[in-house]
Amino acid sequence: MIPELGHVALILAMQLALIQGVLGLVGAARGNARWMAMARGAVAGQSLFVLLGFAALVWAFSVNDFSVMNVADHSSRRLPVAFRLTAAWGSHEGSFLLWTTIMAGWTLAVVFFSRRLPADMVARVVGIMGLLSFCFLAFILFTSNPFMRLHPPPADGGDLNPLLQDPGMILHPPLLYMGYVGFSVAFAFANAALLSGRLDEVWARWVRPWTLVAWIFLTLGIMVGSWWAYYELGWGGWWFWDPTENASLMPWLAGTALLHSLMVTDKQGNFRVWAVFLAIGAFSLSLLGTFLVRSGVLSSVHAFAQDPARGTFILVILALVIGGSLLLFAWRARAVKGGGDFDLVSRETAILTGNVLLLAALGAVMLGTLYPLILDALGLGKISVGAPYFNLVFVPMMVPVLLLLGIAPHMGWKRAKLAELVVALRWHALFALLLAMVIPFALGQFKWQAALGAGLAGWIVATTIGSLVSRGRRGEALPLGALGMGLAHVGVAISIIGMSFVSAYESERGVVMARGDKTTLGGYEFIFHGASEVPASNYSAMRGALSVSLDGREIATLAPEKRIYVSSRMTMTEAAIRYGFTGDVYVALGEPMADGAWSVQLHIKPYVGWIWAGALFMALGGGLAAIGLRTRRMQA
Amino acid sequence: MSIWLGVAALVLVALVFLWIPLRRTAGGKRWPVFGLLGGLPALTVGLYLYLGAPEIIEAQALIKAQSQYDADAMLTALENKLKKEPEDAEGWYALGRAYIAMQRIPDAEAALSKAFQLAPREARMLSQYAEALALTSGSLEGRPLELVLQALELDYGEEKALELAGLAAYQRGDWAQSLHFWRRLMKRLPKESELYEDIGQAVKIAEGKAAEASGLGDRARLEAPEKVKKPH
Repeated sequence: MIPELGHVALILAMQLALIQGVLGLVGAARGNARWMAMARGAVAGQSLFVLLGFAALVWAFSVNDFSVMNVADHSSRRLPVAFRLTAAWGSHEGSFLLWTTIMAGWTLAVVFFSRRLPADMVARVVGIMGLLSFCFLAFILFTSNPFMRLHPPPADGGDLNPLLQDPGMILHPPLLYMGYVGFSVAFAFANAALLSGRLDEVWARWVRPWTLVAWIFLTLGIMVGSWWAYYELGWGGWWFWDPTENASLMPWLAGTALLHSLMVTDKQGNFRVWAVFLAIGAFSLSLLGTFLVRSGVLSSVHAFAQDPARGTFILVILALVIGGSLLLFAWRARAVKGGGDFDLVSRETAILTGNVLLLAALGAVMLGTLYPLILDALGLGKISVGAPYFNLVFVPMMVPVLLLLGIAPHMGWKRAKLAELVVALRWHALFALLLAMVIPFALGQFKWQAALGAGLAGWIVATTIGSLVSRGRRGEALPLGALGMGLAHVGVAISIIGMSFVSAYESERGVVMARGDKTTLGGYEFIFHGASEVPASNYSAMRGALSVSLDGREIATLAPEKRIYVSSRMTMTEAAIRYGFTGDVYVALGEPMADGAWSVQLHIKPYVGWIWAGALFMALGGGLAAIGLRTRRMQA
Repeated sequence: MSIWLGVAALVLVALVFLWIPLRRTAGGKRWPVFGLLGGLPALTVGLYLYLGAPEIIEAQALIKAQSQYDADAMLTALENKLKKEPEDAEGWYALGRAYIAMQRIPDAEAALSKAFQLAPREARMLSQYAEALALTSGSLEGRPLELVLQALELDYGEEKALELAGLAAYQRGDWAQSLHFWRRLMKRLPKESELYEDIGQAVKIAEGKAAEASGLGDRARLEAPEKVKKPH
């Protein structure tokens, strides 16, 4: 009964989304207050019904209702109850329902927080978001229905993909989707501004907080995803340039560019058309990412869907949304009058250059991600574009971005003097160079990645703190936004340290160890104490025990596992990690050998945790800035 | 409740969300809006008939009612039969097991006690009665264990007795003895049965405990599965 009512709720939600879309847009165009009010009512109704539908699916998972096909395919009686609930979004159907639920939440938030905005603006924004929700709800109901039934129901389900039976997977999709879908607000505001022809600084002030919050979620989502890949896949890597990862990186790069150009629009009135373009781009790339991961065009760790009908449907949505908004952009953007002038040497130029470089890096990632798919689609053979390509093109484009990141806060708006800048930043540059030369030797061996990382991180930290200090000295108040910027930029520096040091100094070793064997790696001594069987409700694990010593002192006992899941017969590697401030010790079990011996993978990962810590700082900085914007708007 | 009542309620709620703003605002023609409000229920029913599976609710209710009816009817029949023939040990045994399955533990204890009094030399009756007593008191020690050991004296292959004897030994921390009983039990169980898997897991835990106790694997400390924590 409850799954059927959930199904009806989704059918109602789809219709309400269409009503919200049509009445919102037409009502705004005709100035019909009644229709605009009804569009807002439809938002509330749509949100409620989508939430009811989602709750019905979670309920079906929680009570093991295997007459629901989605439950039968993605859960089982043996699955622990926490994973039964999260299995609700572990499937293709469920993850789209989660997407739509989050979309409804964002729409509701827009209606709630935009009560002081002009009614027709809100109605247009709500209308565009309604049409997006309608597309997704139609997609769910007609191609990816989570409420398909089985009669008679099977006695037990097929279990959840073991890769997803992990706390990281509970958090990763909702965070990522909060980011993806959050960009739809900026997208809707951009289109609403184009439709109404009212594209001014006030517009940027409305959009900034939404973009910032979406960007925070996307940053956290990517962070959790990367951390999950690190500990769950058992390879010890933290970024693989896998298409599914690139799919989330592309909107992040566009979103980062958008944040910075919106700031310029808000403060100086420039870059309005550019910001609208980026707002359309960031959400379009979110859709593209969803399409890449969910249509089955990739065969990678998260691409479970394999159905061409779905792919075609998403492609049509993609064409309508991106094509439609770009057409609107081409038609209306000309009418926007340009902002004020700025010199070649100015903060505007620095931010614009950074923006363009971010987009160029994005283009390189997109090329590397889509090129193999296009070749494959044209029947020109299968190639894979791997890390060497991405590192080669991505890193050189990011280095100037990071240098600019340090300079821009020291530059004046509209015009800055190059000579003054050189004088102001000479000590910062010297400090960075010194770090680049000294730190790699301090870590034992000169490596160019470490030198580059240390230099860039030193540059960013010195210039960021320097800019805040000199603002303070000039007697300017330090708003939350400036502090948030500082925190986020320092976060970038922290991540760079992690990325560069781990790639320069990581070491790994695969050895066969019998009980009592000792081996050393990177100054650590490992003793293997054998492996024994540990049963659990839905898998059986062989758990090894290794003690790790440093300088003759035991610092940890690690228990890596090799699991075989009962229903799927899939083997999973659970790495054991000793997390540390200056690096992790990472151990994974390989294959069992004769006489109780095992092949064991040992990794030393210096400073790897800094990568995610840096992302956390970026998100925190974004949070501070968002609070700053909110309080400023309340005061305004 | 019929599914259609639920559908009607949901549609009504949806209409309220549109009706309230309609009432609160003035001006403009109302009829296009009324058309919309009328279309919503019709389209909802149409789409649900096309996409949904309303018939499954009745089909499932039927299956459930049948099995429920069967169980209830059989239980009542058995109770009535035992009123007429209270000397039927086998009947009391079956009734007691049915009560245990339905979590009616005091009834089970009474029925199995009758079965035990009627057939005190039948190992099954002893061990099943022991289980009912243990479920009531929460412990196998004392009278239940005595009955289990008596049952094993009568028949060293009785499954319930082996299971309970192994469990009692495990609870005392006598890993070797629990392994003895449970391994013996596993030989008698069909390999695909759920009990076989459960006992198999229990055996693995006991083996780990035994190895730990003997000092062989003092590094590979093992915990019961419900306490297993991930390394991260």
